[in-house]
Amino acid sequence: MNWKKVALALLLVLVVMTVAACSKETQESPAQTEPKPAPVNEVVEIEFWHAMGGSLGEELNILVDDYNKSQDKVKVTAHYQGSYEELLTKFRTVGGTKNAPAVVQVFEVGTKYMIESGHITPVQDWVDRDNYDLSQLEENILSYYTVDGKLYSMPFNSSTPALFYNKDAFREVGLDPDNPPQTFNEITTIAALLTTSDRYGFSTIGHGWFFEQLLATQGANYVNENNGRTGDATEVLFNGPEGLKIFEWINDMHLAGTYGYFGRSWDDARAAFQAGQVAMYMDSSAATKALVENAPFDVGVTFIPYADDTERHGVIIGGASLWMANGISEAEQAAAWDFMKYLQTPSVQAKWHVNTGYFAINPQAYDDPLVQQEHEKYPQLRVPIDQLQATKKSTATQGALMTVFPEARQYVVTAFENMYQGMDPKAALNEAAELTNRALDIYHRTK
Amino acid sequence: MNEVMEKIERYQVPKKENLWQKTANLRTSILYLSPAIVLFSVFVFYPMFKTVYLSFFLTDARGNAALFVGLENYLYLFDSTSFKKSMKATWLFALYTVPSIVLISFFLALLANEKLRGIGFFRTIFTSTMGMSVAASAVIWLFLFHPTVGVLNTLLGYLGIRPIPWLLDSKWALVSIAITTIWMNIGFSFLIILGGLQNISQDLYESARIDGAGYFYQLFRITIPLLSPTLFFILIITFINSFQSFGQVDILTKGGPAEATNLIVYAIYQDAFINYQFGTASARAVILFFMVLGLTLLQFKFLEKKVHYQ
Amino acid sequence: MNTGRTTLIYALLFISALILFFPILYAVSVSFMDGKDVFNRALLPSSFSFDNYKKVFSSVPLLHYLKNSFVVSSLVTIGQLTVASLAAYVFAFIPFKGRDFLFIVVLATLMIPWEATMISNFLTVQHLGWVNSYRALTIPFFASAFGIFLLRQHFKSIPYELYEAAQIEGLTRFQIFYRVVLPYSRMSLVTLGIYSFLTTWNMYLWPLLVTTNDSVRTIQIGLKQLQTVEVATEWGVVMAGVVVAILPTLILIFISQKQLQKGLTQGALK
Repeated sequence: MNWKKVALALLLVLVVMTVAACSKETQESPAQTEPKPAPVNEVVEIEFWHAMGGSLGEELNILVDDYNKSQDKVKVTAHYQGSYEELLTKFRTVGGTKNAPAVVQVFEVGTKYMIESGHITPVQDWVDRDNYDLSQLEENILSYYTVDGKLYSMPFNSSTPALFYNKDAFREVGLDPDNPPQTFNEITTIAALLTTSDRYGFSTIGHGWFFEQLLATQGANYVNENNGRTGDATEVLFNGPEGLKIFEWINDMHLAGTYGYFGRSWDDARAAFQAGQVAMYMDSSAATKALVENAPFDVGVTFIPYADDTERHGVIIGGASLWMANGISEAEQAAAWDFMKYLQTPSVQAKWHVNTGYFAINPQAYDDPLVQQEHEKYPQLRVPIDQLQATKKSTATQGALMTVFPEARQYVVTAFENMYQGMDPKAALNEAAELTNRALDIYHRTK
Repeated sequence: MNEVMEKIERYQVPKKENLWQKTANLRTSILYLSPAIVLFSVFVFYPMFKTVYLSFFLTDARGNAALFVGLENYLYLFDSTSFKKSMKATWLFALYTVPSIVLISFFLALLANEKLRGIGFFRTIFTSTMGMSVAASAVIWLFLFHPTVGVLNTLLGYLGIRPIPWLLDSKWALVSIAITTIWMNIGFSFLIILGGLQNISQDLYESARIDGAGYFYQLFRITIPLLSPTLFFILIITFINSFQSFGQVDILTKGGPAEATNLIVYAIYQDAFINYQFGTASARAVILFFMVLGLTLLQFKFLEKKVHYQ
Repeated sequence: MNTGRTTLIYALLFISALILFFPILYAVSVSFMDGKDVFNRALLPSSFSFDNYKKVFSSVPLLHYLKNSFVVSSLVTIGQLTVASLAAYVFAFIPFKGRDFLFIVVLATLMIPWEATMISNFLTVQHLGWVNSYRALTIPFFASAFGIFLLRQHFKSIPYELYEAAQIEGLTRFQIFYRVVLPYSRMSLVTLGIYSFLTTWNMYLWPLLVTTNDSVRTIQIGLKQLQTVEVATEWGVVMAGVVVAILPTLILIFISQKQLQKGLTQGALK
């Protein structure tokens, strides 16, 4: 009879699963049966949520493992939660409950949201309690996360954007690979030279971060109230002449066929660059090491371009910081704090910096012989540091603060995509501004 | 059903019953039905009312209803270009997927209904995509569509077709999602249509053949009319499913590029769980409810007719 | 019969099967490829190795995800069968005033798309503190209007004489339910069981919302996770994960295709 067959099928599946489950146990037993310390010495276990995928995730896991081995009081378990946006979405669902992680990595534009969420303890509390010396850390990175004189989160992975280019392609068309383009117009000209039937001259990743940076380097604010630094922003400014200049610049190249768009995925743009489908593109400095190592050609790194009629103002610190949850026990918070401190030690920072391309939050790390060696071997790692140090301090380069920032980013990316589909640059940009203003409006009405 | 009740009543009437005994049936029924009633109340009816309620509010950064705004969320949606795009994408997506799924499954079912050696193998293959989850399917197709390593463009290259910007162009992106969805849904539709075909009595075909009717005459005069209830059932189910597509959008395009694939459920998800605007998200959900309601009523109307017909 | 026609049908069958099955076959093929093959868009791996499978099991807890999916799907299957058969028994055999109305109310839930209520359901589950537990993944799905409807239709095909005989024998209602009705309808129970198992196994949006760590995360969410961790360089590993994830349901489909076809067509159309 038929049902017998089906029952058999279910049974079979069951057997497969059981066998699988058993094989897992045997496979993983060395890792899992790690000597459990005697209960006398109580180990505090904490969760750490992060958004580091791919090779960055591997490096981060190494740091966490090192930390766990370095002492026997705390055990940190790292959980990858997808992109920064997805991570924040998940944190929102458990924030303030016992399911919340003790330490959570949040991208820079989530700062204001986190402060207002009510689910976190400012790290300043622990800095004061522990008399921790903050002056050893890079000041212009700390300043981003310091609001009203209080350090809310511990900076961890900080990066800036940079322009990556294919030196071999430069040579191929007779350009000097050591003299990369610096301004919008130079990019436009060179992109045309580099474009062939199966290669685009220029590209950007479909992410709002790059627009923010290109705006800041022109010295323009993103929102009013001095970029939200002196009060709650009520209106966006990014659709001013500086923002429009960026849109029109990219639109011109897109129409000329020298700009290629590879979507919102960071990985897809990287894959296209490494496959030689695009000769120049902007990416995070955190991609430096992986690109230089994996690309089958010579990779050049330089500052992001600036508009021809202004001077270069520099870049905003990007990346993410570590936040401490408040729904947890004091022992867990202490463990989280210990882990955060560990990550700031010069040797850990040195390792993190050379293996990823993120900045060292603790500048002493740059004196580490490991770093010196690597900088000689990969001079590209030096470029973002120079770029950051050359930055002029202003509210524009300090970065905007607003609760609905993640939402604003989506609208900006959509505006770019609308433009690629033929929408007028100005109309596209204004639409993004209107949508963001509505989000700001709702924020103020429901506050 | 009435017959059953009459019979039962006939058996029970002669006894003289008090109120306790009279309500025996009711009490047992309530007991047996209670799990279903509780679950439906908590997870279907209550949330439905709650959703309608939330759609009249703005929510704060933590997602609590904070400010009653009446119809503002609805008026905002009807006025916004982004919502219009989302609606257009939702309907266009249904237009791309529904007829294709029904036609392809019908074609495959006709093929697989032939009495040939080894037909069981083909039936299983055609059903196989029913076992494919949306996540697995979307990941496979993401790879096939990939601009750098995707093999689909390579295969098209053999046919002399230039590479297609599958997920990167707003028109193609919706097509790409539609292809993935069609593929995923063929298994289930095929299975149901094949079942419908096998329920058609062979005698009809016999007599048609004796009358010298050709294949297409049989197809259009016997198969399709007799199969129409099944086809209609599949049509409605597929339609409603297409309104509820989410996973393929989330994995393949995240609603982009330029919101071209921002199907209604994805828009709800994005509003609610990324932007934490539960108010507008709930308004969208209410609109989705009415869309599905309309289609289901259509189905009931048809089924009524069909019952009448027999 | 006509051999020309038979050849044509075989040809069409083969072509259709090939096109339809290509993505699955290709996924299997890619799961054995190394990075170079993927990069060159090869159709078949240049060398055959299980490295990707080894890597996928070490980089994400895939078996743990599979176990979660299995537990969740089984629980929902059992839950749905229990709740639906009890309700269907009433709707088919025990008359009372207002029963028909109640049945229509149950059917009406078919009109409420799950996605329209998920925001409030999410808030409920969050409130109950069920996030990251099997409860959140299973209990909301125990009541299925489709299941109640399908079983009621089958129960009604049980000859009434059987029910009467059982009553005369002196069996209680519950005894009739579980000694007569259930055994008589095991075919439809198995069909519904497979159907619920498959749909629960393949659920995506809800598990995405209510799981935030690996403890109860299902294989579908695991796949998404895997795809975002590995995608840049390791498509072979991702595909190995996909193959592992689809194997259980494909086996289930291969074995139960006929059963499903019969059971579902009767339920849907009678």
